[in-house]
Amino acid sequence: MFDARAWFLWVLTTLVAVSSARNPLYTLLLLLVAAVVAVVCQRREGAVAGQQAALSPLRFAAIAVPTSALFNALTVHIGDTVFLDLPGWLPLLGGPVTLEALAFGLQNGLVLTGIFSGFAVFNQMTAVRDLVALVPRAFHEAGVVISIALTYAPQTIRSLNRIRQAQAVRGHRVRGLRDWPPIVVPLLVSGLERSMGLAEAMVSRGYGATSDEAQPVRTTGGLAVGLLALLGGWLLFLFRPAGREAGLVWMVVGGALVAGVVWSSGRSVHHTVYRPRRWRVRDTLVVAGCVLALAAVLLPSPFGLNTLYYAPYPRLTLPAFDPWVGLGLLGLLMPALVGREMGRPPETTRTTGAEPAIEMDA
Amino acid sequence: MRRLVSGLVYALSGAIGVLAFLYPFFLPVTDAAGRGMARSPDAMLWTAALVGLSVIALTVEVQGQIIHAKMVAMLGVLVATTSVLRFVEVVFPMPGGFSPIFAPIILVGYVFGSRFGFLMGTFTLLVSGLVTGGVGPWLPYQVFTAGWAGLTAGWISWAMDRVLGRLGRTRRSLRPDIAVLCAFGFAWGILYGAIINVWFWPFAVGPVQQTWSPGIGLRDTLARYATFYLLTSAAWDLGRAVGNAALILLLGAPVVRALSRFRRRFHFEVVATDV
Repeated sequence: MFDARAWFLWVLTTLVAVSSARNPLYTLLLLLVAAVVAVVCQRREGAVAGQQAALSPLRFAAIAVPTSALFNALTVHIGDTVFLDLPGWLPLLGGPVTLEALAFGLQNGLVLTGIFSGFAVFNQMTAVRDLVALVPRAFHEAGVVISIALTYAPQTIRSLNRIRQAQAVRGHRVRGLRDWPPIVVPLLVSGLERSMGLAEAMVSRGYGATSDEAQPVRTTGGLAVGLLALLGGWLLFLFRPAGREAGLVWMVVGGALVAGVVWSSGRSVHHTVYRPRRWRVRDTLVVAGCVLALAAVLLPSPFGLNTLYYAPYPRLTLPAFDPWVGLGLLGLLMPALVGREMGRPPETTRTTGAEPAIEMDA
Repeated sequence: MRRLVSGLVYALSGAIGVLAFLYPFFLPVTDAAGRGMARSPDAMLWTAALVGLSVIALTVEVQGQIIHAKMVAMLGVLVATTSVLRFVEVVFPMPGGFSPIFAPIILVGYVFGSRFGFLMGTFTLLVSGLVTGGVGPWLPYQVFTAGWAGLTAGWISWAMDRVLGRLGRTRRSLRPDIAVLCAFGFAWGILYGAIINVWFWPFAVGPVQQTWSPGIGLRDTLARYATFYLLTSAAWDLGRAVGNAALILLLGAPVVRALSRFRRRFHFEVVATDV
């Protein structure tokens, strides 16, 4: 439906918004947005393109929100509205239990749920293949390894089932861990046997004939210097209050250096993609929505309000709501709004058989 | 020279991970200095990004050293097999946070060495995250931890050779190695859980005015995390740790033998001839 890059930006924006707008009203708004996007996109596409997480966001909330609220209420003893007094001899738990601490814990749980739901939508809506295509070129070999793994996974599941059936015929039953070796060892050996075949096929076709040479020392050196700048900057940032800005600068420099090394070592890898996915207007619209949401949480509000950070201490009050931030966050609704096919034929009829769907090394 | 620089990349990447794990313990100290920037929830993004970058850097380094066609094929298939073991776990439910993917990572690292073990760990977590819909801010930590579990497993065979050599024994049986690997799997099972917790840690720790008061320090934070850990994660992680040890005990010897056999078999060369 949308480009994987657009979804990636969307989930990053959600992550930034949820974790920087620390106000339960905004968090609830973002949760609502994620739920609407999930439902609308899923209904529109009929089927899920990606993977459904084992844990649904609702179930995650049912675990995370009470746990976080309870933990905070029991271990933090500040705030004015006391509703329970635990005996003081209890280590860490003893002391007044306040409504404010409970509210703060609830808020934390909601934020965690917001992050989780954003990623649940992302996992559901992006196909694994599209994500692998996003891997930077420097990780070309890594991309190949992941592609092989994804290709062989279904085969391995089939072979797992075959082995289980064969062992079951021999009277083998899996009851506990002790019954694993007769299944796992044949699975491993048959997998390795298959990888031998694959390796022979790849080597005899000349794969990797050019990339066997060692990495230049300059790459390694660049990485080392970049990591050093990152680590030094972070240490400075954390432990030297006077050096905060300098630390940030060093971290940015280090990050840029690592990114630069990744980019430059990717330049030597040439590959071409058949049937590239076209970037469409609706992808641009999703990006625009994300930019709007980012602006709302990162730029100062035109109303001069500072509502992004809400703390219930010392006494619980109603959090303030800034319409500008609220409106901006609605930009994240874009995937639900713009995806409808406007009188266009569905995508599947557009592709013709003339385009081979494989990637090749040049 | 080249070994030195390469070792520096390993050390720095590991140091960033250790700092990401430890920094919440120093929060009271750092907060005493300024407004708790380090504790704000953005810290979660920062830390995840830093850990992600350190994994990326180490992956570029390791991949540049060993990857060739045979390794690519073997790694791909091993990663697929290990990811599929996650489905076994779904079919036969196991207690707690038990996951069958760590034992293979550790055993592969032990047989094939640190670099291969590192790649095995990172790619297995990446692929199984993609396949099971588990992409999220916790992924950098999972990838980092599993990668280092595989990397350090490579040190074990080297260390065991040294120790046994000093004792004047020749290596015959795998048994002492398997015993060490069991303990190793147990330790990484616990460590994995403790490191993964970092992703939501800034939320468990809370804002400055909530916990900070003059005079509290490392001890108080440690007590707080210990309570949190015991309440939420200890039982879960114990399940994983015991499961790792049990799996290595049961599967260790046959799997190590199978892997060693294939390691020898993979030393083939393709010679081009005129037809």
